[in-house]
Amino acid sequence: MSTAEFESVDVLESEITTPAAAASTELEARNVSVWFGQRKVLEGVNMSFPKNSVTALIGPSGCGKSTFIRTLNRLHELLPGAALAGEILYEGRDIYSRDVDPVHIRLAIGMVFQKPNPFPSMTIRGNVLSGLKLSGMKRSNHDDIVEETLTAAGLWTEVKDRLDRAGGELSGGQQQRLVIARALAVQPHVLLMDEPCSALDPASTLKIEETIRQLSKEVTIIIVTHNMQQAVRVADNTAFFLAAENEPGRVIEQGATTEIFGNPQDERTLDYVSGRFG
Amino acid sequence: MTTQTLDPTALPNLTEQRPQRPWRKRTPRFKLAVVLAVIIPAVVTWFLWQTSTIPTPVLLVAIYLPMQLIASTLASIVTRGRRGIADSIVIVSAIGATVFSLVILLSLIGALIVRGWKALSPSFLLQNNIYISPSTPLEYGGIGHAVLGTALIVFLASLVAVPIGIATAIYITEVRGRAVPYVRFFVQSMSGVPSVVAGLFILTTLIVTGALTQSALAGGLAYAILMLPTVARTTEEVLRLVPDELRTGALALGSTRARTVFRVVLPAARTGIVTAIILGIARIIGETAPLLLAAGNSDQTILNPTGSPVASLPTYIFNNVALPYPDAVTRAWGAALALMIFVAILFTLARVLSRGRLGR
Repeated sequence: MSTAEFESVDVLESEITTPAAAASTELEARNVSVWFGQRKVLEGVNMSFPKNSVTALIGPSGCGKSTFIRTLNRLHELLPGAALAGEILYEGRDIYSRDVDPVHIRLAIGMVFQKPNPFPSMTIRGNVLSGLKLSGMKRSNHDDIVEETLTAAGLWTEVKDRLDRAGGELSGGQQQRLVIARALAVQPHVLLMDEPCSALDPASTLKIEETIRQLSKEVTIIIVTHNMQQAVRVADNTAFFLAAENEPGRVIEQGATTEIFGNPQDERTLDYVSGRFG
Repeated sequence: MTTQTLDPTALPNLTEQRPQRPWRKRTPRFKLAVVLAVIIPAVVTWFLWQTSTIPTPVLLVAIYLPMQLIASTLASIVTRGRRGIADSIVIVSAIGATVFSLVILLSLIGALIVRGWKALSPSFLLQNNIYISPSTPLEYGGIGHAVLGTALIVFLASLVAVPIGIATAIYITEVRGRAVPYVRFFVQSMSGVPSVVAGLFILTTLIVTGALTQSALAGGLAYAILMLPTVARTTEEVLRLVPDELRTGALALGSTRARTVFRVVLPAARTGIVTAIILGIARIIGETAPLLLAAGNSDQTILNPTGSPVASLPTYIFNNVALPYPDAVTRAWGAALALMIFVAILFTLARVLSRGRLGR
């Protein structure tokens, strides 16, 4: 490898990323394997997510990253043929144990999807507050919540004068920030983001990354991304997923983002982060 | 590579450009072929129509249509070669079929207007039929009682069929229980039930047994049987169109399945559900047989849903159209015209209502 290849990366990471402080673990995957019907799509994933850290999951398409984060808040089970082995511990408790209500898990572990999905029948304000209504959560001062979460999502100044317009009237980037605000209104402890910027232009992407960095002071964030520069810019830790042909996806390497991008131990990680494939 | 500098004076004067459609430019040969292909069959058919005794429908279907097909095909071969043959056949049949169905529809509306127009007047729409005999002149009596009766029966039918129909659709698309294939099959078969059977069913199970008499409620229940499958199947279709991302999005916010359905999925499909209800009403509003059996008929204005037979537009038309009095027949046509106008208003209303500010 040539050292020149990583110079640009080094500049960025010195600016932004600092390795996660040794904090308490909020969410942990132990030996998680996932199937759809008879097809095993993910094998033996062990990963822990420290409280208030940002973790990026990178890897080529079809290696099970999205499937993995959907197991973390029990959305995986909604798909036909879904099966799973292993444990996922949230605050030390297996979220798949029988006495756990998936509704509570999804309330504590929110999610932002690849495609912005504001509710079309609701206004901007209604969208932000929809989580409270849908989950039956009681919070007072709705006006404050709307302002607070939209500010946190970096959208407040753009929409404060038209909160009663339909959420679908916003641009794609604004819609994505609207659904982030919606996810924040129910005060999740963990926020899963499945390629939140893949449909957005660079300006909106930067705004959302800024939002992620702000949020990471209070929320644990796990983000799937195909944009490696984005992983470098926002993530404390990074995990590299890879699926060999006709084999389930596995975690090839994980650790501090600086290590994964600056000093990868595995040849395949090096090839991927240096853009040689994928 | 060198950079070229454009000399502004060398540019053509852009203000002189006019919008053009180069893809529509036709050669004179093409225009001539098209004109001949349209004129020759028409002129020949018109000539035959004037001179021969061939009945007009036969002339149109057996002579004009094949001749037009051949002429268009020849024109296509002349202008575009063999590639044009399939094109011309498709275009001529598509235009022919469209004109055919439009002619049928328009002649139906035309017949209604021509024969029913005389009967229509404010009093015809408002008065009832008490003290009116079939030979009474048109100035007296009307269909007010039948309009109210139909409205009452349809309202009662909707009260039953709409909630059950929407609930069925929710079971099929949202609950996705084990019985879905059977439920769907059942609903599908139900939409094939002949309307007279629905009337007979209510007659034998509720009226003969003495649970109800012939009334608006009994008629509404018979109508509900016919309306239910339309509402259920149309609602099912529109619920399927609601993107799954919205459901997952709601669940990811800690929503229960019930709240997801009632606060996200149904509101997102609101427009389509209104359409489903309107389609259900349009399906039943002209059905005659179930009302003859279950609702009976009356000359008075009845607003009590139970207890006495009630008039409705279809039974009014049915009873008057076969009478040997010209004025009675005209009344029947007038009622049919009114029924059609009501349906048209209903559809327009649905279109306007569903154009809400949200949820497009």
